[in-house]
Amino acid sequence: MKQQALAHFTDTYLAAIGFFLFFFVFLGILFWIQRKGAAKHYDYMSHLPLREEERS
Amino acid sequence: MGASNVDTSNRILIEYDDKIARMFTIATIVWAAIAFTIGVFVAFQIAVWQLNFNTGWLTYGRLRPVHTNANIFAFAGNAIFAGIYHSSQRLLKTRMFSDTLGRLHFWGWQSIIVLAAITIPLGLTQGKEYAELEWPIDILVALVWVIFAINFFGTLLKRNEKHLYVSIWFYIATVITVGMLYIINAISLPVSLFKSYIVFAGIQDALVQWWYGHNAVAFFLTTPFLGLMYYYLPKAVNRPVYSYRLSILHFWSLIFIYIWAGPHHLLNTALPAWLQTLGVIFSVMLWAPSWGGMVNGLLTIRGAWHLLRTEPIVKFFVAAITFYGMGTFEGSLLSMKPVNAIGHYTDWIIGHVHVGTLGWNGFLAFAMIYYIVPKLWKTELYSKKLANIHFWAGLLGILLYYISMLAAGITQSLMWMEMDNKGNLVYPEFIETVIRIIPLFYFRAIGGVLFLGGFLLLLYNICKTIRLSPRDLKNDTIQIIVSPKAVLLSEHGHRRLEGMAVTFSVLALIAIMVGSVIEIVPTLSIHKYITPENKMASFTPLELEGRDIYIKEGCHNCHSQMVRTMPPEILRYGHASIIEESMYDRPSQWGSKRTGPDLARLGKKYPDLWHYMHMINPRAVIKESIMPAYPWLAKKKIHFFGIRKKISLLHKMGAPYSEKERADADIMAEIQAHEIAESLKKQGVKENVEDKEITALIAYLQALGQKGVQ
Repeated sequence: MKQQALAHFTDTYLAAIGFFLFFFVFLGILFWIQRKGAAKHYDYMSHLPLREEERS
Repeated sequence: MGASNVDTSNRILIEYDDKIARMFTIATIVWAAIAFTIGVFVAFQIAVWQLNFNTGWLTYGRLRPVHTNANIFAFAGNAIFAGIYHSSQRLLKTRMFSDTLGRLHFWGWQSIIVLAAITIPLGLTQGKEYAELEWPIDILVALVWVIFAINFFGTLLKRNEKHLYVSIWFYIATVITVGMLYIINAISLPVSLFKSYIVFAGIQDALVQWWYGHNAVAFFLTTPFLGLMYYYLPKAVNRPVYSYRLSILHFWSLIFIYIWAGPHHLLNTALPAWLQTLGVIFSVMLWAPSWGGMVNGLLTIRGAWHLLRTEPIVKFFVAAITFYGMGTFEGSLLSMKPVNAIGHYTDWIIGHVHVGTLGWNGFLAFAMIYYIVPKLWKTELYSKKLANIHFWAGLLGILLYYISMLAAGITQSLMWMEMDNKGNLVYPEFIETVIRIIPLFYFRAIGGVLFLGGFLLLLYNICKTIRLSPRDLKNDTIQIIVSPKAVLLSEHGHRRLEGMAVTFSVLALIAIMVGSVIEIVPTLSIHKYITPENKMASFTPLELEGRDIYIKEGCHNCHSQMVRTMPPEILRYGHASIIEESMYDRPSQWGSKRTGPDLARLGKKYPDLWHYMHMINPRAVIKESIMPAYPWLAKKKIHFFGIRKKISLLHKMGAPYSEKERADADIMAEIQAHEIAESLKKQGVKENVEDKEITALIAYLQALGQKGVQ
């Protein structure tokens, strides 16, 4: 049983590629959103739904 | 096109197309009534087998897919479209790209639903969960989706708000991914107008199916609803989203991770171990971005919690988001192999799914409906009190549903696995484990009744509200100032990224493609996973016909064909299933639920007569069986001539049929049918069933697990 399960565990590199790809993308986003001067922009963005501008 | 006219001072007047949002809102409510009612009906069918009425189109096997399709595509689908058409115009400060495409989308989608509601009860099905529709309807679905996509992206391109709010990202991910998932999973070759075989077989089909199935949950029931949450919740509590940063982080993590999680539907099966492990890892990781969304939703209400007491809309939102949190936590939990060993194939999964669908999708859609109907129809909600009662009835219904199914699932699973000190099964008869949980089926159905009852209050409340609306309903209009070009060019970085809808969409596509390609492409070269010594024979022509009848009657809704790699399972059903055994199965029958026992090794276990009696009246051989009877199988004739075409198509797709089998498929089927009918006659069956469907089905059932590898 164990052997049968392990017999096909030959594609670990695929899992590794996937995992590291995600991990670095995640880190990238994490640093990205903390960059300087973004606070003002995010404040603007988060208020978008609440500003139904100048209704006529 | 929108009725926008430019005035001299850089101001433009924009009139939204609110009618399309109204149309989808009404469709949502109408279909929900039907979908929920069918849900309650099939819930009672499990408790009371007599409710199958010995009638083909009324049996559980055919109605269950009607229930799932109606809820996913008719109720949730229309709710998503209503919300997207309503909120996108406001967030992008523009009218939809095209009114005509919007109407085509609306009527196209409704006609798909009607076609589904007709064909599925008739047994016209591809036999794949949530992808039952036959190929002509699939083509229609793809067309309508493309129409929607053109209209949506067209709106993005003509927008007057440079930045894309987080809701729009979720909509983009939905439009792209659902299209891709649906089309790939449905690729099939037609035998006739009403019958086709899927291009993927066995393990490939199982993997593609659950890549699709799981991501239907992700990109049809999660991302669009998160998009709706990010728009309507801030509106309802009049507060901006708690953390915009968190929304970015959890969006990208969510769509990147979700696409990998499909294999958790196939744990402890014949699926290669590396894929199972990948599925587990990503499913557990999925917990984090899911809770990112939940936390962001709940904390948006900060400082406005008093509204929970007075506003039913906020009640629905809070409960929906809480259910989302519970459901996603439980999902990660159930994805771990040992927990999955207990939960898979049981009612626990059904309970888990309904926490998501009733709690998250249902309640969020109700919150949205209660919010937008007064806005769209320019009036006030008819009764807050009724909405409050709806909330409590629905909540109680969901809890009753979930707790009863959790108890039923765990009880039954533990009974399946219970072994005595000699290593024998304590409950070797499957039926013993069913009888124990029948009372819980009633509780589940009562939970459904409460949920439906609550919804009927919404129906009444909304009808009354719409009656209050003014005669001449006008569309909302806004005036906006167009920003000068110079500002657009001066910005950099992520802001620019958000400004570029196309770039964003491409990045989202890449994020979902990574997981899809890495998981699916290796299994397409299936020879790698097949041991040459484990040669399999394919089904004989009659057996194949029986298999198609099996799928037509929806047997797979209650019976799996996959002996998992677990000792109690092997004790009960025999050697664990291996990849080769299902390598010619289109679609695969690995299944997702065992209301009845696994059938992977059913062949030769009982005599033909047993099967005959069992199909005519299951109670004749298993006294306490809850299976519906299938008496019409002994009356309906087999279309022998059609078999030849099927065999030659399957041969082209890779099944090893000899030249003789291809040329004489119908004759060979007739001969085998004659033999079975003769043996039945000898055993005392009076009717001549030589050319009846039941004979083909018996041939198939007797062939299960008998095709070479034991």
